[in-house]
Amino acid sequence: MNTRLTTLCINRGLASAVRRTVLSGVAFILMLITPLTWGQQPAVISGTLGAVGSDTMAGLMLRWGETLTTRYPDVKLQFQASGSASAPTALMAGTTRLGPMSRPMTSEERDNFIERYGYPPLELKVARDALIVVVHRHNPLRALTRQQVDAIFSTSLACGGETPIRRWEQLSATRDWSFGSIALHGRNLASGTHGLFQQRALCGGFFRNDISEHPGSSAVVAAVGESANAMGYAGLNHLTPAVHALSLYNDDGIAIPPNEAAIQGGDYPLSRYLYLYVNLPPGETLPPAEQALLKLIMSDEGQQIARASGFVPLTSSVLGAQQRW
Amino acid sequence: MTSASHTVSRRRRFSRVNDVWPWLCAASVALSLLMLGALLTLLLVRGLGHFWPATLEEVTLDSGETFAGQAVREVALPQRAGDERLYFTGNQDIEGVRWRWVAIDDIAESAQPDDLIRLDRSPWGDFIGRLVAIEQHDQRWEGDAAWQRLNALLVLPASQRQDSQLLLTTVDGQTLRQPLASVASAQAPNAMSVWQKTLAWGDAVWRFLSEGPRAANTDGGVWPAIFGTVLMVILMSVMVTPFGVLAAIYLNEIAHQGRLTRLVRIGVRNLAGVPSIVYGVFGLGVFVYGIGGSLDEWFFSDTLPSPTFGTGGLLWASLTLALLTLPVVIVATEEGLARIPEAQREGAVALGATRLEMLTRIVLPMAAPAMLTGVILAVARAAGEVAPLMLVGVAKLAPQMPIDGEFPYLHLERKFMHLGYHLFDTAFHGEDVQAAIPLVYATALLLVLIVLVLNLTAIFLRHYLRRQRGNEC
Amino acid sequence: MTLPRLTSSRQPIRLLQDRMATGLITAGGIGVLLAILAIGVFLVWETLPLLAIGDTLALAKLSPLAWGTLKAALAALLFAIPVAMGAAIYSALFMSARLRSRIKPALEMMEAIPGVVVGFIAGLILAPWVERHLASALVLIIWLPLSAALAGLLWQRAKTRLRRHLPLSWAGLWLVPWLAVMVALALWLAPWMEQQWFDGDLRQLLDQRYGMDYATRNALIVGLAMGFAVIPSIYSLAEDALADVPASLIEGAQAMGASRWQALWKVALVAAGPGIFSAIMIGAGRAVGETMIVLMASGNTALFSASPFEGMRSMAAAIAIELPEASPGGQTYHLLILAALVLFIFTFLVNTLAEVVRQRLRRRFRQMGGTL
Repeated sequence: MNTRLTTLCINRGLASAVRRTVLSGVAFILMLITPLTWGQQPAVISGTLGAVGSDTMAGLMLRWGETLTTRYPDVKLQFQASGSASAPTALMAGTTRLGPMSRPMTSEERDNFIERYGYPPLELKVARDALIVVVHRHNPLRALTRQQVDAIFSTSLACGGETPIRRWEQLSATRDWSFGSIALHGRNLASGTHGLFQQRALCGGFFRNDISEHPGSSAVVAAVGESANAMGYAGLNHLTPAVHALSLYNDDGIAIPPNEAAIQGGDYPLSRYLYLYVNLPPGETLPPAEQALLKLIMSDEGQQIARASGFVPLTSSVLGAQQRW
Repeated sequence: MTSASHTVSRRRRFSRVNDVWPWLCAASVALSLLMLGALLTLLLVRGLGHFWPATLEEVTLDSGETFAGQAVREVALPQRAGDERLYFTGNQDIEGVRWRWVAIDDIAESAQPDDLIRLDRSPWGDFIGRLVAIEQHDQRWEGDAAWQRLNALLVLPASQRQDSQLLLTTVDGQTLRQPLASVASAQAPNAMSVWQKTLAWGDAVWRFLSEGPRAANTDGGVWPAIFGTVLMVILMSVMVTPFGVLAAIYLNEIAHQGRLTRLVRIGVRNLAGVPSIVYGVFGLGVFVYGIGGSLDEWFFSDTLPSPTFGTGGLLWASLTLALLTLPVVIVATEEGLARIPEAQREGAVALGATRLEMLTRIVLPMAAPAMLTGVILAVARAAGEVAPLMLVGVAKLAPQMPIDGEFPYLHLERKFMHLGYHLFDTAFHGEDVQAAIPLVYATALLLVLIVLVLNLTAIFLRHYLRRQRGNEC
Repeated sequence: MTLPRLTSSRQPIRLLQDRMATGLITAGGIGVLLAILAIGVFLVWETLPLLAIGDTLALAKLSPLAWGTLKAALAALLFAIPVAMGAAIYSALFMSARLRSRIKPALEMMEAIPGVVVGFIAGLILAPWVERHLASALVLIIWLPLSAALAGLLWQRAKTRLRRHLPLSWAGLWLVPWLAVMVALALWLAPWMEQQWFDGDLRQLLDQRYGMDYATRNALIVGLAMGFAVIPSIYSLAEDALADVPASLIEGAQAMGASRWQALWKVALVAAGPGIFSAIMIGAGRAVGETMIVLMASGNTALFSASPFEGMRSMAAAIAIELPEASPGGQTYHLLILAALVLFIFTFLVNTLAEVVRQRLRRRFRQMGGTL
């Protein structure tokens, strides 16, 4: 009995010794190889980055993560896209240090964070986004006033329109667009896009009840691209050539197209920043994996990825004015 | 005479009208088969066709503009005669968009030159154009040599081609320098033979099955979704089989066969008809918020308020589906038990067997095939079910597999990917539906194949067993 | 010699084992049944706060969803009942036995196709196509039954040799290519017909003359897609009911001079009536609860409209997209659970009714078979 136990122990000890040797051997070889192949990368960075937050930014975050992984194979980004509202909760709980949000934190969320940790979260702007109003690609309509947008999508006319707009003939640009009434497409109630559009484009009013509510922005764009009588709203990163994104008149009566310059400068009325909130105690530095991600995001390459994902990169002045980490 | 012939002709006319009805009925069968066939054919053609290397066209418009791309589909123009065609043009980094709609009347000329190539890169996606040269340190290859050099380099892992650069040009003359490290594959589809295309097709199908999604689910494969589906279904059958069989044995062998048992039996049968979403609601309310929430408070309070088991996950999803498929297993097992002649049981008991021995030695072996059929049907139903999963734990993208080398190896609390939900997600939530649709077709085909194969197995099993039992009796 | 000793020594253990196993099975069985019962209890429990307050405003929010659910189910049944019943009658009474043993599983396969696949095809492929070719789609709906009747008339005029090659008992199969050709023909002719009868654009005509809106994803599409999903369940049960009608009944009627069709119409359908009723009920239950197809193909517009060209939002679809985001304990949460409860009660009642009717019918047939 005793001898059996000892052999077992020896075996286990031997096995662990062997495993340790093999592992350290592998690690050694890796250390040898890595500097060779990653000439400019000085140190090996590893670790799993956790992020919880906005589903609008899911594609963007995942692409940043992919790029980071190709650069540092041991770094993995795990992203849980459960809506902007989940980011402050997760940051406060301490399960993640990174909370991407498609809107700024409310003062309540910020206060809660300060109460828990004693310092505010680091707020970083990472890209710019906009909501676009789209019509079919052959639709002659090019621009709408905010009152018109409201009159088309709402029943409340809170932005100051006079009559609801139901048919294409009611808009001067589409008098000859003989497709009858306007078929409306939008997002479902639970999405942030729905809420933001209601707040900014309907001046807080109520949506009509005959809007087709799609479970995703890309479904909205696809639906509008398929039917000539359709109009819808979606996130900028879902824009395809199947639809045409309308310009919106600003308060000075100038039609602003949702192009890169107008969104970057904030002239386009429905534009917004995308944020990344980081839990960083003052005076401390971030772990190398987090630093690498932030460096990537703020770099030219990271901003190019934002552009490739359909968002608008930040101007260098905005990038430069950010708080240091 | 005349009146007689009159009635005869009337009867004949009447019977002729009547004779039309069987044809309408036959047409219903034919229509159902036609719809089923059309659906399967559509999935097969579009799902598998997507992987075939598509011909690239160089299109010159009447305005003199040129571009290169792959023709995707055609639709009628609104308010104007004629059709327009959708081209996939790639080159998002140069043009800003990946698609182009062109009225067919506007096309002056369209050719298929052999030297057009298609590169798969990240993060910008496909490039369609021409290869000018390839540069490595001070060396430079051009023309055919460049193409050969590119193919040779692409065999190497990405980390070993850091120092190479491609010089590319689009068909309208814009040039681009592309680091080779971010290129995944290269093709010149117009120059490929049928055999090469078949090889490329097989390779693409294999990559679709074995790789994870890339570029935020708009590209890449479905391996994690296959894995997640299979794992969830296995867990579910592990849970549903013992309980379903227990309940069936209780109902059929032990419970007093009275009015109450009959009511319960009807109740169980009816649960098979309760919408799956209702089970999802139950799973969310009871398993996730109820049990999961309590588990978190007791064992994982250090991570609260962020939930461990108090959010949807693999465990809750498979439990919910187990509940959903429980009636299927119970009904099938009961059917099997009811078919066993009473004489078998009586014989066993008469020879001195206890009830347990009678059950384990005589009844269960005889009912085993029926149970198996029930479990397969349950698995088939669970594999195709999506609605309840949306509530209890399926994820858009789960970078961590539910099984890995980290203790405790099987992570029941993790979210997982599921083929059916992946299909829904890429079709409605993705960044670009047009780009995702071919992948959605392929995923749909895969899902349908899995479910059909499972169902066919169940049908053949049942058929075979019935026949065998028929011989026995 | 060894046998009695073995029994005597192991007897108590065996009895104990047996008692324990029986207890275990009973416990397990009752546990499972309780778990199933828990579904109903949970749903009622969670909706109690809402019902206790008597929040009529909340209930008013549910009413368009209830209407949408009914509209979608009705549209599906309008398409599914004729097709499924026709198929059931044909395969129970006219089809050759060999073909039937193959066709029935094939049609039951339709049920296995996941809703999410049908929903994807309907929402992203079929809906845009029908919107562009509305006239063709409507022409098809009228043209398909006509072409089947035409096939019948042609067949009666045909030569005996051809008839022997293409018998009625195999028509379910050889009509498939015929229908395919007819569909192609209709699609080829439809633009011309639209030009002739509807002034070139049916949708414009609908809009201008009748003031009807056309939504891409509408009751027509949902009806087709969900009908496709419901056909197999109605077909399978109705066919069982028809096939169970004792042959003696039909033969008796035919002996009295009834034609085959009369025997079917006046005798078999009447005799199997309750079974067919229960088949339709079960189909209705499925149509009411189907989630993914409605979610993907209905457009999710919370409208009170009876127009077949407008969308709807069903309770099941609303639960599926809104519940994961609703905070537990909130009003939306309770409201959605109430919707689930309504679905549960409705399908449970409908299915119980169907099951009771079916069992009674089966007993009646057994008696009939016994006496005849």
